[in-house]
This record gives sequence, structure tokens and C-alpha cells, in this order.
Amino acid sequence: MHIASGFLSPPVWGTMAAVSGAAIAGSLAVAGRRLDERKVPLMGVMGAFIFAAQMVNFPVLPGTSGHLGGGFLLGILLGAPLGIIVMASILVVQSLVFQDGGIEALGANIFCMGVIPCLLGAAVRRLWMRPKVGLFADVVTAIAGIVGVLAGATVVILLLSWSASLPGSVSLGHALGVMNFVHLFIGIVEGLVSVAVVRFVLTMRREAVFGVGAKEAIG
Amino acid sequence: MSAYNRNTIIVGLAAALLVGAVVSYFASGNPDGLEKTQENLGAADTAYQGLQAPPVAFQEYSLTWLGEGFWGNAAAGVFGSLLVMALLLGLGRLLRHKRHEADPGDSSAMTS
Repeated sequence: MHIASGFLSPPVWGTMAAVSGAAIAGSLAVAGRRLDERKVPLMGVMGAFIFAAQMVNFPVLPGTSGHLGGGFLLGILLGAPLGIIVMASILVVQSLVFQDGGIEALGANIFCMGVIPCLLGAAVRRLWMRPKVGLFADVVTAIAGIVGVLAGATVVILLLSWSASLPGSVSLGHALGVMNFVHLFIGIVEGLVSVAVVRFVLTMRREAVFGVGAKEAIG
Repeated sequence: MSAYNRNTIIVGLAAALLVGAVVSYFASGNPDGLEKTQENLGAADTAYQGLQAPPVAFQEYSLTWLGEGFWGNAAAGVFGSLLVMALLLGLGRLLRHKRHEADPGDSSAMTS
């Protein structure tokens, strides 16, 4: 879902750079104040894992592929501030080293694949911090994961539309429909994979990740 | 570093490298959801002067001098994963120092 170079108009990418820049600055400020040191190795490893996972395009519809975003998962495991920092790092490396996503579109891409899904992930994080985690958490998390992908996809189309990068003959509603239809399938995979990984982490690293019984350093 | 943190890094990194170097080789080469949408809508042409990184060492997700085969892809997966991790561990170090400077009395509270 990386917006490539040349599709966003200067006012649009400038605005998104400012918005995402503010989100990153805020995240760094929060993390600088109350960082749980046990989360640092997890941050590094999750960043490496999400980078790698994004390389795995899976087939969705005929002639179409999708890949994991990972921001939603990071929001659950690390909370919004650290999740946003990790997603921003990944997207910067992808853009600068691997030409994946335009450099001028970084703010927009960080917002759609970082800020939005990280906030949604952080919203359901609480469900996984309860002493007993039931099926309810799995279902709500899977649905929120889908919503995160669709919200990101919707904003991408809005930004393209505001940049006049959609053809004049196509209505905004139609473009949103096409984009969201494809991303519904990608979102289902995102939601299910996120639940599976969170379940795995809950088994292996419950105390460090969800701080059960301990007050959280970063909420 | 505690054994707990070391194990987190070893297991997590092993998973990342396996996915980035091996599993990704079998990834679908079809356009992704956004590219396909733009294709379907007929919006494939760029209209603005953008800023695109030059392919210095990597062309998309392949190391240039190894080409687009298994090893070129594996090199991209390994290098990218390690670069992201190094970046974040370095950032974590900086943030920790910053916090200790701001609030030295709190430094022992959260070490594991």
C-alpha cells in the first residue's frame, strides 16, 4: 500500500509530512520519558520481523497480491508510541534503500500504514492485558485489524483524490469501492495473522509484552 | 544483557531472517492492492515531480550484483531486517540515556 513517488501534490504530501512528523515527535517524547527497557529488544526484533513480513506478498484476488502492514500488530504489542516509531523506521528504510514508496510520500505512508493501524492496535491492547483472555479478544482484534487496513486504504485514496491523481472519469466513490474491496481481503489476512502472533507472544512473553500484574510503562 | 532479552532477540531475529530471506522468495509477484487499484482505475501515470531514492545497492528488493534470483532476494531480506533492527536498538539506547538524564533517580526501577 506504499504510495509511490510522483502521485501526491506538494500541498498534500507536505501536510502529511507535518502530521506524521508531529506524531513521531510526540511518540519519541513519550518514549523518552517512560521507556520500559525490556521493550527495546522487542522493538528491534519486531521491526526486523515486520520488515521481512512485508516482503511476503500473498495472492488475494486474480492478478493481485497483498502484504502485511504490521502497524496494527505493533500497536497491540508495543502500544501506539513505540509502534509508530517502529513503523516509521521500517518505512524510511524501505523508501531510502529499497525504493519502496516515494521519499516525498513518506509522511503519507507513515500515516496510513503506521499512525492509523498503530492507534487501532493500541485501542485493543487493553483486551490482552486482562488476566484471562478469551475468544472475545480474538474476535474484536481480528475485526479491528480489518478496520485498520480499510481505514488506511481509504485515506490513501482520499490523498490521491486531493492530489488529482485519480483519472477525471472515475468518481471518488467508485475508487474507494475498488480500493476497499481489494483491501478487505488483505485486511482479513492482517487481522488473522495479528491475532495468531499476539497469541504466540502471549504464551512466550506475556509479562514483558503485556505487563500482566505490573503497572505499564507505556500505555 | 539478560538471558531473557538475549533469547527474545535470537528467536525473533531467526524468525525475521527466515521470513525475509527464504519465505519472501516465494512471494507473489503480482501488483499489490494499491497498484492494482490504480491500474484498474487507469491512474498509472505520475503527475508530479517526486523524489525517488536511487537504486544504489538494491533494485527494489534484490541486491543489484546478485540479481533477482534467490540470493539477491535473500541479501535484501537479511540486510533490510538487520538495518531496521540496528536502527531501533540504537534509538532505544538513545532514549534510555535521555530518560536517565532527565530522571536519574528512576534508573533502577525498570531494569530486568
